[in-house]
Amino acid sequence: MNSSVAIAAAAGNHGSPVIELRGVRCTAGGRTLLAIDSLAITAGERVAIVGHNGAGKSTLLKLLSGFVTRGDGVVSVLGQRLPPPSATDLRTLRRDVGQVMQGLHLVARLSALDNVLVGCLGRVGGWRSWTRCFAADEVAAARQALHAVGLGDRCATRADRLSGGERQKVAIARLLLQRPRLILADEPTAALDPAAAGEVCALLANAAGADAGVTLLSVVHSPALLPQLCERVIGLAHGRIAFDLPLAAVGDDELARLYHAPALPRPLPAADATAAVPTGAAAAAGMAPGS
Amino acid sequence: MSRVADMAPTVGRADGGRLGFLALGLGYLLLIAVCLWSLAASGDLSGGRNPLANLQKTFAEFASPSFLDLWFGNPRLEYRSDDGSLLRVEDRRSVEAAFLGELAQASWTTFRIATLGSLLGALLGLPLALLTARNLGAPRAAAWLAKAVLDGMRSIHTLVFGLVLVGIVGLGPSAGILAIALHSSGTYGKLFAESIESLDMAAIDAVCGVGASPLQVFFNAVWPSVLPQFVSSHLYVWEFNIRDSTILGIVGAGGLGLLISEATALFQWGRLSTILLVVVLLVASFDALSRRIRQELQ
Repeated sequence: MNSSVAIAAAAGNHGSPVIELRGVRCTAGGRTLLAIDSLAITAGERVAIVGHNGAGKSTLLKLLSGFVTRGDGVVSVLGQRLPPPSATDLRTLRRDVGQVMQGLHLVARLSALDNVLVGCLGRVGGWRSWTRCFAADEVAAARQALHAVGLGDRCATRADRLSGGERQKVAIARLLLQRPRLILADEPTAALDPAAAGEVCALLANAAGADAGVTLLSVVHSPALLPQLCERVIGLAHGRIAFDLPLAAVGDDELARLYHAPALPRPLPAADATAAVPTGAAAAAGMAPGS
Repeated sequence: MSRVADMAPTVGRADGGRLGFLALGLGYLLLIAVCLWSLAASGDLSGGRNPLANLQKTFAEFASPSFLDLWFGNPRLEYRSDDGSLLRVEDRRSVEAAFLGELAQASWTTFRIATLGSLLGALLGLPLALLTARNLGAPRAAAWLAKAVLDGMRSIHTLVFGLVLVGIVGLGPSAGILAIALHSSGTYGKLFAESIESLDMAAIDAVCGVGASPLQVFFNAVWPSVLPQFVSSHLYVWEFNIRDSTILGIVGAGGLGLLISEATALFQWGRLSTILLVVVLLVASFDALSRRIRQELQ
């Protein structure tokens, strides 16, 4: 396998990969959800995953955040092998992994500010975190985060009184307060109108990037949002990597082929996968060809 | 032809549904007829010897509740024997004042029984709710057992618990408190389990997702979601228990029920009328208060 060589090369160029998958197989009820031979993402990269419904995008993100634990192969996130040996290790890892999930995952009865403050639970312990009496600097940071997403005047509003777009922005403010090293965003723009989707993508992209050293891995459906969200696009079809290209190399053809992939899972010809990875810039960006 | 054949089963099913409903309706009518006929045949469907006159008399006494004696009672009611000699003189006003004092004391006891019984019932119901809530994934045998206990508690009436408990802990409010607690723990368990089952698990996952510890998840995601619903259920059952505890005294478990059974035993409808007025006032004011609080909790 030349993939390990590629990973090593990428690691040499950009430090150790933030996300590393080798020989990963996830099955449920006899159906293959995920079959990734090799994938590496380095610090500061902004990567988008595209693919048809049921292609394994959400499964991949859940695998990386530790909500899916079954399957074979090596999964490592921020240097931690998954599943972590203990619940404490999983929690330690999750402090550094910010998640924006599909749907609106806020505590409905808490105010926007309290929901943002959930982001600091990883570093604040003891009675303050149980009674939600957080230190003044955390509260100030939470207000600032809400202000950054444009909801500075909605601090006291309960989450279930906010609109869909506002809730997603609160989720991003929570992420900003969490200050993670890796952001996993599962369809952050689902259920949002185009204007709100654009704003949310811009906020996410700003939170990540090479300067901050924060990695962003997002799942998106709309090709129009790709330029805002990523520099690298991974296409998934039937749980396998169909292509792994820099944004500039992703054209309508690739996307059309991806979304019209045949229903029966069949292994992609190795030639296709390797051919899809250009040399030079892409290799420097730390890509691993799909075996 | 084939199209008619295709349609036949659908038509048949619709007809079958209608016929089934008709049969169900006929069966119900038959049941009513059997109940009425059998009671009438054994002569148990009589209205008593003089129902109309009795109704009139009872109604008239009900219409003049005894508390009016406080102002309009005869201060010098004379009891005389058949030969006209004065037996004793009674001040109706002071007698009524004493009764009202007793009534206030009994109402307070009823309220205390309902309040303490509700709290105890909630505390008993909560662990059973945790076992029965499907999304918490308790061991199935334990869940089944807890559900059976809850169903059993709910199906036994407070009065029955009261009768049994008076035999165990003796006459008085403690029997009442325990009776209320045991019966309402079934209701509490069911309502609490429903609140827990309606938890937004995705929000809990999101809080887990930032690396929060189990205690942090509980206090930041579970507790704020569940607490208002718990308080709401608690107020609802508490209010119900105030109504229930007014009759507990009939079996000797303390409170207003004792006065009710005295008044009915002596056919003092005026006093019963006063007692019922107090009961209605008590229940209605608590209902108004709890409804207000539950609205605020929405």
